[in-house]
Amino acid sequence: MLTEQLLSIGVNHFLTISVILFGLGMFAVMTRKNAIVILMGVELILNAANINFLTFSKYNGGMEGVMFSLFVIVLAAAEAAVALAIVINIFKTFKTVDVSSVDTMKE
Amino acid sequence: MMHSLIQLSIAVLLLPLLSFVVLIFFNRRLPRGGDFVGVGLLGTTLAIALYIFWTVIVQHYDPAFRVAWDFTWLDFGDVPGVGPLQIKMGIVVDNLTAIMLAMVSLISFLVHLYSTGYMHGEPLYGRFFAYLGIFTFSMFGIVLSDNLFSIYMFWELVGLSSYLLIGFYFHKDSAADAQKKAFLTNRIGDIGMWLGILILYSQFHTFGYQEIFEHIKNGDFHMSQTWLTAAGVLLFMGCVGKSAQFPLHVWLPDAMEGPTPVSALIHAATMVAAGVYFVARIFVMLTPDALHVIAFIGAFTAFMAATIAITQHDIKRVLAYSTVSQLGYMVLGLGVGAYSAALFHLLTHAFFKACLFLGSGAIIHAMHHEQDMRWMGGLYKKMPWTFATFMIATLALAGLPLTSGFLSKDAILAGALGFASVEGGGVFYLIPVLGFGAAVLTAFYMGRQIWLVFFGESRTHLKPNAAHSLDDHSDGDVDHIHDAHHGGHDHHPVHEVAWNMRLPLVVLATLSVFIVFSPDPLDGGKGWFMHLVQTPATVVSVTGTSHESAGLGAPEAGKLLATAHTDTEHVEAAPAQGHGAEAAHEAGEHHGPVFTDPRQAEIAHMTHENHYTAIKLSSIMIVIGIGMALIFYVFRIIDPDKTAQTIRPLYLYSFNKWYWDEIYDATVIKGSMLISKILAWFDANIVDGIVNGVATVFRKFAFFNGGVDKYVVDGLVNFTAFTVQTTGAVFRKIQTGKVQTYLLMVAVAVLGWFAFYFAHLVK
Repeated sequence: MLTEQLLSIGVNHFLTISVILFGLGMFAVMTRKNAIVILMGVELILNAANINFLTFSKYNGGMEGVMFSLFVIVLAAAEAAVALAIVINIFKTFKTVDVSSVDTMKE
Repeated sequence: MMHSLIQLSIAVLLLPLLSFVVLIFFNRRLPRGGDFVGVGLLGTTLAIALYIFWTVIVQHYDPAFRVAWDFTWLDFGDVPGVGPLQIKMGIVVDNLTAIMLAMVSLISFLVHLYSTGYMHGEPLYGRFFAYLGIFTFSMFGIVLSDNLFSIYMFWELVGLSSYLLIGFYFHKDSAADAQKKAFLTNRIGDIGMWLGILILYSQFHTFGYQEIFEHIKNGDFHMSQTWLTAAGVLLFMGCVGKSAQFPLHVWLPDAMEGPTPVSALIHAATMVAAGVYFVARIFVMLTPDALHVIAFIGAFTAFMAATIAITQHDIKRVLAYSTVSQLGYMVLGLGVGAYSAALFHLLTHAFFKACLFLGSGAIIHAMHHEQDMRWMGGLYKKMPWTFATFMIATLALAGLPLTSGFLSKDAILAGALGFASVEGGGVFYLIPVLGFGAAVLTAFYMGRQIWLVFFGESRTHLKPNAAHSLDDHSDGDVDHIHDAHHGGHDHHPVHEVAWNMRLPLVVLATLSVFIVFSPDPLDGGKGWFMHLVQTPATVVSVTGTSHESAGLGAPEAGKLLATAHTDTEHVEAAPAQGHGAEAAHEAGEHHGPVFTDPRQAEIAHMTHENHYTAIKLSSIMIVIGIGMALIFYVFRIIDPDKTAQTIRPLYLYSFNKWYWDEIYDATVIKGSMLISKILAWFDANIVDGIVNGVATVFRKFAFFNGGVDKYVVDGLVNFTAFTVQTTGAVFRKIQTGKVQTYLLMVAVAVLGWFAFYFAHLVK
């Protein structure tokens, strides 16, 4: 039964994990006030997307999804570097990394 | 390729202009005010003009000599409603032009030379020569023009330059008034002239003399002949203004306010000659009716001005009125058809009148700006040169035999007699009668002038100090600038003038002797002038309105007239046939062409017939005139002052110049002022009222309009702004500046879109 179930791991399982991961990442981005944590949330979202790519790649037979996920990983690294630089600048300017208090663009 | 004569005449035209341009800009920077520029350039001009004279007159010696050149000055293309419109400029050189060029440049040169002496020490010395330059330039332009348009332009330039020169002492009120008077009076004439030009232009669409005459000859004038007469009379109005004929003569005596050399130039060569010259140019298109008008105006002017001249005290004023009178002779001559005689008189008069004016200038200069003849006298010993030349010129003006004046005046009077006998009516005899009357008066007033100025005892000491205030005409005998300048000289003795003022007098006096113009002292017809300048055949065919054929049907009148004329010739003139043939033969020799026009032919014939009558009569008249002068002033058999008291009304009438100034003042000027006042009232009340009324209406409307603007238009604009503002205020709330809010919105939007999309799929 369990084996069956294990053997029957299919697209839906992967996608479910991906959705859960995406939801957690989204939740982190929306609710956390610390900019670092928000960035971590973004990483989760990106990885959710990676899982999706790989899933569809696996069940579709092509290599495009794998290549794309590699791109995304590189992209995530670059993004993390740039975003952290921004966060450092924000901290230098506002003496805080709390995004809710960084609202001078309002109105 | 232009004819070399044309090139030379362009040089003659432009050199005085060059003198003007150089002097008007640089007279203060040049040494001696630049007078040597003016004199030098005019000397060059004179040399060229004399060369032209030599080539045309002496070498060709052909009555029909004519060289012309023209170019299109303005081309307007095809003007709607008018047709092709081109204005041409051109130059024509014929015998008359050559003679006039030589005469004008000679006198202008002499006046320039003379002015170096007369005007010496004037504050505006250099500018004076500049004005003389433009004056001469304008006159050359008139002389050389081959069309009505350019002559009109130069005509106005003459008006302008005379204005500048007459008002040369513009700091004096009298001079400023005189220059305004001269200019405005001339404008009246010029308006007439312009209208005349327009009549001709409306018919022929050209300004050129030759074209116009050709058209008239071909019968292209489609309106009635009255219009042609009107055109002639209107063109003559220009001459009336410039040549100071009767209704508009009033400016000329006042123009004496200008410096004396200018008077010489105006009276002899440039301005007044222009009018007569112009009438001569258009002579062939004048209808008999127009010629009658011209003849009567000329005769009346000649006589009227002569009567005024006999009582004037100012030496220049006497000469001014004598100019008016002599111009009357010329116009009379043109009017009676004695074309060449009139132009001959123009030429001879130019020389002796320039001599008289320059002589009077010498006298005035020597007398330290005393112009009143009553305080002169006994000058013949002190100023022998001036006396001799003045005497010769006076005799020429009086028309004594052996002088040039006799030749020309006699020719005019013979023409007047011939004209009167051809026209037949008693009233036409008025013309020669007035002419001879003027001849008597001329001799008389010139005799008076000679005696008062040169003979007797000096009367300088008799002059009362307050003479000016007693004198009822302020002739400007006191020139304050001059007084200031010559102040210290008042008691210095009178002396002869320097060579540069004497030379012109001698030259001009020499040119006043008969031998220059004709070998026969009694007949100018044998001279070169009458040979070279011959009466041109008229281009107007006398039909319909001729007074001789009154009562006949218009269409046949011309034919009948011609037949009747031939009959008269055959029947009545039969006994005189031999003489007539002889006359015709003689006429062929030196009286020029045989006219095809019967009227002209007959006048020419009768003029010849009356030649000796005229000589006799005019000699008698001169003797009477001089005799009267002797009786009154030399032997004092009759005391002139007592006579003046006896016929005081007549004396005053003459002394006050027939009250023309007063009459004009009371009628024309008062009338103009009244009309001006009425118009001013009209302007102030009616026109302004209309304007103000319109303004009020517009103000009210604008007020209303302003309301609409304020509440409706502005309201719309403000409403739009309000709406935008409100909407903005609402949407602004969304812009919180918090990243997470934006992200939430994106998420909600994406979810919403998904929900919508899937709901759509399910359906």
